[in-house]
Amino acid sequence: MTPPTHAATAPSPHTAAAPVSTQALTLLAGDRVLIDRADLRLDAGQVLSLTGGAGTGKTLLLRALAGLPLPGVTLAGQARTDGRRLLIAQGGRLAPQRPLALQAADVIGHHLGLDASAALRRMADALDRMGVPPAARRFDLPPERLPDSLRWAALFALGIAVGPAVLLADAPAAGLDPTVRLRLLHRLAEWARSSATALILAGRPEDGLDGPADARLCLHEGRVLPTPPIPDPLPAPDHAHHPAGAAVMTAHGLTMSFPMGTGPTGEARRLTAVHSLDLELVDGETLVLLGESGSGKAMLARALLHLPAPSTGRVVWMGRDLTKADDATLRRVRRDVQPLFPDPAGSLDPAMTVGAQLTAVLESLRPDIPADRRPQRVVETLRAVGLPTDTATRWPASLRPLEAARVGLARALMPDPRALVCDEPLATLSAEDRAEFWDDLLTARDRRHLSLILTTERAEEGLRHADRALVLLMGRVVERGSADDLLHHARHPYTQAMLSAARGDRPALEGDPPSALRQPDGCTLRQRCPKARSFCAQAVPTLEPVGPGHAVACHYWDTP
Amino acid sequence: MSAPPPLPTTTHHGKGAAGLALLVALALACTVAPLLNDGAGPLRADRDPVLTALTDGRGSLSFALLSGLLGAGLGVAWSGLAIALGDRAERRLMGAAARLVALPLALLVPLGVGLTGGGLPVLTALVALSAAPLVAGLAHQDLRALLRRDFLTAARAAGRSKGALLLHHLLPNAVRPLLAAGAIALPRALAVESLASLLGLGLPSSVGSWGGAVGVAARLGDGLALVPAALLLALSLWAFHAVADEALRLAAEGPHGGPSNGLPGGSAPDARP
Repeated sequence: MTPPTHAATAPSPHTAAAPVSTQALTLLAGDRVLIDRADLRLDAGQVLSLTGGAGTGKTLLLRALAGLPLPGVTLAGQARTDGRRLLIAQGGRLAPQRPLALQAADVIGHHLGLDASAALRRMADALDRMGVPPAARRFDLPPERLPDSLRWAALFALGIAVGPAVLLADAPAAGLDPTVRLRLLHRLAEWARSSATALILAGRPEDGLDGPADARLCLHEGRVLPTPPIPDPLPAPDHAHHPAGAAVMTAHGLTMSFPMGTGPTGEARRLTAVHSLDLELVDGETLVLLGESGSGKAMLARALLHLPAPSTGRVVWMGRDLTKADDATLRRVRRDVQPLFPDPAGSLDPAMTVGAQLTAVLESLRPDIPADRRPQRVVETLRAVGLPTDTATRWPASLRPLEAARVGLARALMPDPRALVCDEPLATLSAEDRAEFWDDLLTARDRRHLSLILTTERAEEGLRHADRALVLLMGRVVERGSADDLLHHARHPYTQAMLSAARGDRPALEGDPPSALRQPDGCTLRQRCPKARSFCAQAVPTLEPVGPGHAVACHYWDTP
Repeated sequence: MSAPPPLPTTTHHGKGAAGLALLVALALACTVAPLLNDGAGPLRADRDPVLTALTDGRGSLSFALLSGLLGAGLGVAWSGLAIALGDRAERRLMGAAARLVALPLALLVPLGVGLTGGGLPVLTALVALSAAPLVAGLAHQDLRALLRRDFLTAARAAGRSKGALLLHHLLPNAVRPLLAAGAIALPRALAVESLASLLGLGLPSSVGSWGGAVGVAARLGDGLALVPAALLLALSLWAFHAVADEALRLAAEGPHGGPSNGLPGGSAPDARP
């Protein structure tokens, strides 16, 4: 095999043997150059990641390689693929209501000429490859009723079952948790290497596609370039920021649960999203809540703000117990503690201009500021978060995602808060926008001496800027410690898996998180955990100290 | 601060605009038609069938508007009450609406009129009630989606009072989806009234109705009288549906191009390339 990093960037004398090769491939829409003279070559069994931001032409290039250029796009230069090629389209499109078995039989039968039973046997073998246990193979269900992770696994298995010479995957497993996504992508890449299939994984830089790949390219302004090496995907925490001081916020026995009707024997059933959790936030500290989707971190963040109030337990802000607070006290606390939302655009009232919404915050939370000074205050805050002053006159629908995120930050900063509770505030932003918004958020934190609580599923981003972290699994804290401890000495298999995914490595966890409605007895990770033993089903592990300020909830954290 | 700049409109509203234009034209024609008629009785053979059908349209369209609006109001009130009364009542009220929608309520209207002896108030109430469950279901979905939106949570985090939340955030954003949900009651009211009139259990002959005219023409075997009434009824139903569809689409777009249902819309957090 040609050395991977060069094989994908420059044509070699052995071009004829490569399943994928292009020379000066140019894609044009009229006179406009979309992809400019792309040279790439991919050998059999090689895995290439092709990354780029929104609109950089990844899909166009993949479709051109698949022989399916979009209407209106013309090709110049050479593009050659040898053997059967298969494109997994963006979004993992399968007919949503047609049972999976019928779709598998159709696709495999079409490509390989097999009858339905032979096609399904081949599909079952492919699902084995993707690590889908027999019990989870619901061939009879339509894709719309499958969990996203299983739908993607089935789609990859379909590709494996067809056995193409070239497999092109556009934004594969996008939207899944990093731990689940990386597990599926690594399995797909392993299959490609073992079956001599050329595999191209195209997606955004933040999707972690570089991890399973042998060669890495990126698209920038229409040019295919080698991906610049990342010096350290998990750098040490920012030690320039030292929190010090007393606890400003504490939560004791905080539980969030919701009624689920009555069970078969008439008993009231409740879905518990957060289990009796204790938390402390120190003045000026950045506390990150890490966890996969469904871990309860968002619910916890909202409970801390009493939006809504927790089912049981209490939250205390600067000595004020929010459970017992009247409206005036709650308003005073809201002045001090403001939220950032996961979808900034959705958190803005579409029927009000940005300026009107910021002014409304001042009216409610800062009545001490005279009405004639409010417009000036709005302008100053917009400037402080890097927005032009005319943003105040704009409607939320006209804002780009980064602008909406900055407006959300400006709104949170309007009353001069002392703490921000940020629920995945970068979730909707592209990689470039994330970097810019991180700067804005950290600048605001440092200049205003803010305490931050930040929820995220991206371990690398969270720990890089945090002082301390709590790792949440199914509503329980499974590890807590300083950011440094978690980065370099994580003990819990779940934390280690999240960090592996952040590095692009294959996480050690198998399978998908269980449903919150059917949580297993004992440790909720045991069905996915490489360290699980029979005792794990008998007791929910409790946090035990493993070092100064570092605690882990795992029965076998100290076993290899 | 200067006035907010208008947003560029990129959406095409062709079907809705055509439906609205057709409805306006029909309403005008129906209003003018009696002036052009020579006062001929409904059964006279020398009358102009088109003018007669247009004259009958006054009754159909006015009644559809009256009972449709009543049904829309009932449906919206139904959904609002369900949400206001709390979880258990909400489940029961909306469960009842869903069960009623599954029933052939259009057939219950002539049945009810036949059993009660009829009369305009009874017919109006029955037609409105037949449209209300569907409106209630749609309005409930819209209101629930609206109440889940993060901008309301953000407004609460900003310390807004319950009154301010309702007046400044909830109502301005609820108007479009509720109007859209209510708009579906108009074609339903027209269809149900026409069916009842076709069977002779709808509007009285003195009021006039396309359904009644079609029924009489069919009984007399008068194809010339049947075609204009049936055609105008079909056109009106299409126009009402086109306007209702457009209203639903506009409601989904939300005010000023923003999404009204919580899904990424005009300012979507960038769709993948």
